[in-house]
Amino acid sequence: MSDRITVEELAELMKKAAGITVVPEDLQQQYNSGFDALGIDSLGLLGIVGELENRYGTPMPPDAERSKTPRQFLDLVNSALMTGA
Amino acid sequence: MSEPHPRRAAITGIGVVAPNGATTENFWKSTKEGISVLAPVTREGCEHLPLRVAGEVRDFEASSAVEERYLVQTDRFTHFAMAAADLALDDARLGQADTGDSPFSVGVVTAAGSGGGEFGQRELQRLWGKGSRFVGPYQSIAWFYAASTGQISIRRGFKGPCSVVAADEAGGLDAIAHAARAVRRGTDVIVAGATEAPLAPYSVVCQLGYEELSTVEDPERAYRPFTEGACGFVPAEGGAMLVVEEEASARERGARVRATLAGHAATFTGASRWEQSREGLAEAIRAALDEAGCAPEEIDVVFADALGVPEADRAEALAIVDALGSHGRRVPVTAPKTGIGRGYCAAPVLDTAAAVLALENHLIPPTPNVFDICHDLDLVSARARAAELRTALVLSRGLMGSNSALVLRHGAADAS
Repeated sequence: MSDRITVEELAELMKKAAGITVVPEDLQQQYNSGFDALGIDSLGLLGIVGELENRYGTPMPPDAERSKTPRQFLDLVNSALMTGA
Repeated sequence: MSEPHPRRAAITGIGVVAPNGATTENFWKSTKEGISVLAPVTREGCEHLPLRVAGEVRDFEASSAVEERYLVQTDRFTHFAMAAADLALDDARLGQADTGDSPFSVGVVTAAGSGGGEFGQRELQRLWGKGSRFVGPYQSIAWFYAASTGQISIRRGFKGPCSVVAADEAGGLDAIAHAARAVRRGTDVIVAGATEAPLAPYSVVCQLGYEELSTVEDPERAYRPFTEGACGFVPAEGGAMLVVEEEASARERGARVRATLAGHAATFTGASRWEQSREGLAEAIRAALDEAGCAPEEIDVVFADALGVPEADRAEALAIVDALGSHGRRVPVTAPKTGIGRGYCAAPVLDTAAAVLALENHLIPPTPNVFDICHDLDLVSARARAAELRTALVLSRGLMGSNSALVLRHGAADAS
């Protein structure tokens, strides 16, 4: 497992935490689209943050669950993982 | 200037997901044939509990009824509700094309007794087993008894008046009545009903505290209301959703008016005070008849609450005669739920579905496993009875003391 969370891992978490299936290639294309357009609501994003915190054993920034797009989200959580490492 | 016609509420769609059939057609086929599907409890984690017999929905595959996100985000009772709502809307021929342009004209009303017990148990086990960080956020809404109303509304894009009735088992009838009132006040369509999924370990353990629950092991003897062998009730899962809409506009759009909701009333007489439920139920019947402008002699069939507790059965038999007079001893009474169990709030909605189907087919379905009746009632026991039916009375009581009565008229009866 790399220290950076990839689009592939985000796609897997979206399926697990919110039941939303999206293939990584499509997620990459919708990198700047809103999570709402992907079908992820605020509880779904909160669930993804919780999964990541349990998986990496480190708290994510409070703003992570308020991210609007996959890009914004991955930038935030990856910078937190980098500084935490 | 002529008086405007009063708005009347009609049932134009029925969707059933029941232990004896996961479609309305299968439900009616089993119901009219008096097939009992009560059987040993097989739901995971329940097998060793003292509840031996229940009405399980076996031919329902949630993953083929609802999208994956709802499988993850909602409980089994909401899966039933969404599937039943789809069936009801299909039956009423109301699709996205019909409602998409006017989302505020369609609302949702459900009732539920216990909410999402299976989902809630799984998340609480994570809480105590692994810690609070392992509880999924959807726990905050999935367990909630209001979840089905919200999820149907979200999934179908309905933005009209949405409500949840919390009124005990009789709340199932009250939800239908609430829908009728919303339609009379001006909403075009309400999707109304109740579904339950009380056969998960935590939920079953909660029910073991009810002294009215039957723990008898023999499926043929576990739920026998109105007999000397009455030993309590058997619980069930599943339920039904109905499409309730304004009668004139339903006819205008060419919908089939399956029945009209003519009258309803509810009373409260206190938890497990079955002797007192006689007075409460009789009063509910009288007030429902009054609202319907219906004489006691016009009632052609009664769908009984049929709790299966001797004191409660006696109170119901007496209440029917108290409210209907000597007609109460002659009118055919039935309780098809003895073949599927009592699905709490879902039970009176399934009875309402069966009553509409009985009115349409001029056939009173029987009361499975009940033949040696010890009350002064004309109970339709062994097999279905053909009869000219125009008006049906559906009764429901809750363990916590609610009593409710609903009067339904055949859809064609008031076609003028």
